[in-house]
Amino acid sequence: MDKNEIINKLKASIIEGLIEESVENVKFAIDIGVEAKTILNEAVVKGAEEVGKKYENEEYFLADMLLAGDAINECMNILRPNLKLRNGAKFGTIMIGTPEGDIHEIGKSLIVSLLQGQGFDVIDLGVDIPPARFVEEAKKVYPDVIGLSGLLTVTISKMRETVVELKKAGIISKIILGGGILSEETCKSIGADAWTKDGWEGVRIIKEMLRKDGGN
Amino acid sequence: MSYDWNASITRVLKTLSGVRKIDKVPYVPMVGEDTIARISGKTTKELLNSPELYAKSAIMSYEFLQSDIVGIPTAYTGPAEALAFAEVNGKTEMINWYDYKIFMIQQGAVCKTKSDVENLKIPEHRKSDLWKKLFESLKIVQEKTKFPQNCILGLWCVVQELRGIQAYRDMRRDSDLLMKLCEKIYDSLLDVYYYAVDLLGKPGFITFAGYSFNRHMMSFKDAMKYEGDFIKRMQKEIKIPFILHNCGTAPYFEEVCKEINFIGINGSHPLDINYWIEFQKKFPKVTIFGANIDVSREILNGTPQDVEEKVKENILNLAPSGRYICSPVCSIPWGVSLPNVMAVPKAIEKYGKDPFKLRKNQ
Repeated sequence: MDKNEIINKLKASIIEGLIEESVENVKFAIDIGVEAKTILNEAVVKGAEEVGKKYENEEYFLADMLLAGDAINECMNILRPNLKLRNGAKFGTIMIGTPEGDIHEIGKSLIVSLLQGQGFDVIDLGVDIPPARFVEEAKKVYPDVIGLSGLLTVTISKMRETVVELKKAGIISKIILGGGILSEETCKSIGADAWTKDGWEGVRIIKEMLRKDGGN
Repeated sequence: MSYDWNASITRVLKTLSGVRKIDKVPYVPMVGEDTIARISGKTTKELLNSPELYAKSAIMSYEFLQSDIVGIPTAYTGPAEALAFAEVNGKTEMINWYDYKIFMIQQGAVCKTKSDVENLKIPEHRKSDLWKKLFESLKIVQEKTKFPQNCILGLWCVVQELRGIQAYRDMRRDSDLLMKLCEKIYDSLLDVYYYAVDLLGKPGFITFAGYSFNRHMMSFKDAMKYEGDFIKRMQKEIKIPFILHNCGTAPYFEEVCKEINFIGINGSHPLDINYWIEFQKKFPKVTIFGANIDVSREILNGTPQDVEEKVKENILNLAPSGRYICSPVCSIPWGVSLPNVMAVPKAIEKYGKDPFKLRKNQ
């Protein structure tokens, strides 16, 4: 199999969400001398874009996104050390959590998986996180973006409190809110920089935020 | 003056059955435990521990909000059903309790592994202290208001509570396992239903929280497979009309109403009022609870005038054709401004009287 063939095969296995096959393909690509950066850009990123398009066209749904995200994560675990060693690639650090009083994790887990799959370093604080913990962790890692995810309408007030505390503590990270309970008006009133109601859109917004912010 | 629950019952039932003579558009707010705690000043644990207190506080809250329905929000097979499963499977440590809102289970903790699903025990609700107290509360509410009480059922919401995000992986990688879980939850829902019938009598209708019917969650085909077909099966077994609740932002209302017989749908999306006008034309026998009044918009962030305009838009466009109930969706958020909440019944008083005589877009 030549380099082009394995890249296409890997991309196809990612799109199909075939984890074991994707891992085999990425290892094979490295073994035959394909550069990690080429694997990332030509197979992983393009595969992820194709998955995103299928989601937007309603060919793919949460289950398909999740499995593709899992496949990408496994590939990234293999690729990441090579990428850092060779070109010092930095994608950005995203810290994410579900605010205090809400323990729903499905939406958060999806976006964590998708972000990791795009090469971001993701710090997942978990669920039911008090504002003080967001502040404490943000001071440790200074993330590029902080994501607050929630499902319940009662979470909105805690999101607001968290954003206030982060700003009071001088944290300048961009803040994105996620969840079906949100709206443009709510995002503005809370004082966040952006909001999203689905994982794929969230990834796009975060990339856009980092581009504007001078990130890569 | 005591609250006229009889007038509310008449208003709601006439609207559901399409009778073209009602005094005003009915109002159905979605009241969560946090709202009852806010109005009554009691903690969730206090409410759950005393059926008398919970019933009294619930009635007081619904009356305060000038609602046309009354109930006990926890008597819903979402968190309370997850708790029943956690109890019978020895996983109560997975439950988080809060002072002023409902307890929640850590999603995916009860059915973390394949073997957890395979060995999952189905709760007997008659033996559950929580469900006993919830049904006692419902019974008191029913006796005091004469408003027929029932529990709200839901299947996919319980799948998500028990199996978490793993359920979505199962959908593609182990569909049989997921179906096994759905079957167990289905049996459990029937157990809840028959317990309710024994204590409260046969209900007039069932409200079914069908959270799978949302484009953000899954394809319509999967929604039918993992929830819709179970609803159809349940309808055959219990022979009671169903109302579908889905508070998602991309619901499959049209698609599902073509497949399953619902007498009403309850949601807040799409936000375009024209969707709802067209929906009403396509499904004239389906009562719309809600249309486009989303609690996280005007009610949360707007002014009482914004809320009034939104309610007016809904009433003038949908009430004259009948089978319309004003219902902001979903639960009223904690901390929302009280004048905004109260702007809904005020707007109904202003625009919703004698709805069949209202002219569209006046």
